[in-house]
Amino acid sequence: KMAAAGGLRRAGWRLWRGRAVVRWQLYPPQRALRAWAALRSASDEQKKEPFASPPQQPLDPHPGDQQPQEDPQGPRPSYTGQGGQESEDYESEEQLQHRILTAALEFVPEHGWTAEAIAEGAKTLGLSAAAAGMFHSDGSELILHFVSQCNTKLSELLEQEQKLVQLGEAEKKPTDQFLRDAVEARLRMLIPYIEKWPQALSILLLPRNIPSSLQLLTTMIDDIWHYAGDQSTDFNWYTRRAVLTGIYNTTELVMMQDSSPDFEDTWRFLEKRVADAMNMSNTAHQVQSTGEAVVQGLMGAAVTVSNAETSRAVR
Amino acid sequence: AAAGFCPCRALLARRGGALRALCGSVRGLAAGPETHFGFETVTEAERREKIYQVFESVAKKYDVMNDSMTLGIHRVWKDILVHKMNPSPGTLLLDVAGGTGDIAFRFINYVRSVRDRQLQRKLKHHQNLSWREISESYQEEKLKSLGDSQVVVCDINKEMLKVGKQKAQCLGYSEGLSWVLGNAEELPFDDDKFDVYTIAFGIRNVTRIDLALQEAYRVLKPGGRFLCLEFSHVSNPLLSRLYDLYSFQVIPVLGEVIAGDWKSYQYLVESIRRFPPQEELKAMIEDAGFFKVDYQNLNSGIVAIHSGFKL
Repeated sequence: KMAAAGGLRRAGWRLWRGRAVVRWQLYPPQRALRAWAALRSASDEQKKEPFASPPQQPLDPHPGDQQPQEDPQGPRPSYTGQGGQESEDYESEEQLQHRILTAALEFVPEHGWTAEAIAEGAKTLGLSAAAAGMFHSDGSELILHFVSQCNTKLSELLEQEQKLVQLGEAEKKPTDQFLRDAVEARLRMLIPYIEKWPQALSILLLPRNIPSSLQLLTTMIDDIWHYAGDQSTDFNWYTRRAVLTGIYNTTELVMMQDSSPDFEDTWRFLEKRVADAMNMSNTAHQVQSTGEAVVQGLMGAAVTVSNAETSRAVR
Repeated sequence: AAAGFCPCRALLARRGGALRALCGSVRGLAAGPETHFGFETVTEAERREKIYQVFESVAKKYDVMNDSMTLGIHRVWKDILVHKMNPSPGTLLLDVAGGTGDIAFRFINYVRSVRDRQLQRKLKHHQNLSWREISESYQEEKLKSLGDSQVVVCDINKEMLKVGKQKAQCLGYSEGLSWVLGNAEELPFDDDKFDVYTIAFGIRNVTRIDLALQEAYRVLKPGGRFLCLEFSHVSNPLLSRLYDLYSFQVIPVLGEVIAGDWKSYQYLVESIRRFPPQEELKAMIEDAGFFKVDYQNLNSGIVAIHSGFKL
């Protein structure tokens, strides 16, 4: 009975699969159609179409249409590609997810780093709130997205400054000043979200998120040192990054509970820490050169002694 | 595995199947393409008819049988489904093949508790409220305890809907709930209406799964979510054997003892074996146009939750 059933099952599913395959082959041409229609409509005058309904089905206007009709930029770019301002007429899932997360950031001060903020963000893009189900319910992706956005902004800022210096329009800053300004600029990006940032820090420390958050942190520190002109290839590379990571983390924590106007206390703390780090490196240099001198002295003494021995032996 | 226990029944079924195949080839062209009903081969029209009869006869004892067959674990599965959905107040849910309303009631509870927490948080924020504001907030609570969320329960079977409505009355669910008679392959709803579409232990009984998936895609809003909770394929060989033993030996007996209906529960366990495994269902969902399709195995594959988004 099992063999017969198995045979029947296989035959049955082959039939269904055949149908499914045919249907799937129909789909790509349909999608290309929509994309082509989008290209044409994008070049035509803007017209507000009902959102994302396939061309075959009648576009019946139903009462209680939830799409906001006022949209000064024209039809909203949708995944199915009907009407769009962007040069691409469709976007990948990743890009859509990034757009949702970016839109969600403005709801963070009110809802915190949660799935609710993501749901509100999705709603502003015209999607259903259920789209927040694409992300984890504790808001980790939102925080990681925000952190990577801030890091990108910081890199761009440092790049621009470097260009100005290269063009000769600005002076090259001394290292400690450079580090101070870079860390301050980066921390200032947290100010709009400062009330909910402790929550974000705790979520970033969850074991699941540690690899990503650590990677973002290290790339940011690496960027700062790169633009500070660090070209070391020896052990200094590690010590420099470790020191700056320590400075950044401690300053961030101080900022969390700083209530002074415009976070003055935080910047003063930062200044002191950077100065300490510089002193430490000077001390390290001194120790190193002293150490080298001592070693050379010992080597010289050893050579002298061995020469004396050989000369005595010869004699 | 079943043949060992009940040889005479299996023989009868096979003979019946052969006879039916003979007659079927004569009138098969009229009644529609061939498909399966459990381990039998029937036409599509026959299958729909038979499934309707199955659920008509089990409707009254449906919940009791669910509890006894799965030892109450089906409640946990349904809870996990609603938690995965994580609905916010204002969500419109369409629960297809949701006859007795299990998912709908859980949805209402969840949304109510989320809304309560939201209101509490709002009150905490505004520390200095005037008496008028406080009384207004209480009124608001009573009026919008669900925050505009709604669930529509759709089922093809009148008996199941009747049982569901009675349950709702008993348990006191009244607002935000509506009951619609409809076929999953041809939903009586407009396009782009619902935030979430769920089908819990129902898609197995749909004759044309691809049509049901297309309908799901149609009625969902952009950004909407498709969730499917269904019995699926167990990959662990030891567990699979135990599961087969339990399914074919114990469940039909329970069906006979508790509900007086051996054949319906025989159909149930056979239909589980005929249902496509996780990856195949995932491919079918992707074919219907959903994105980010994924599945989560519960109890190492006895049940799986498939999820997709209309983007």
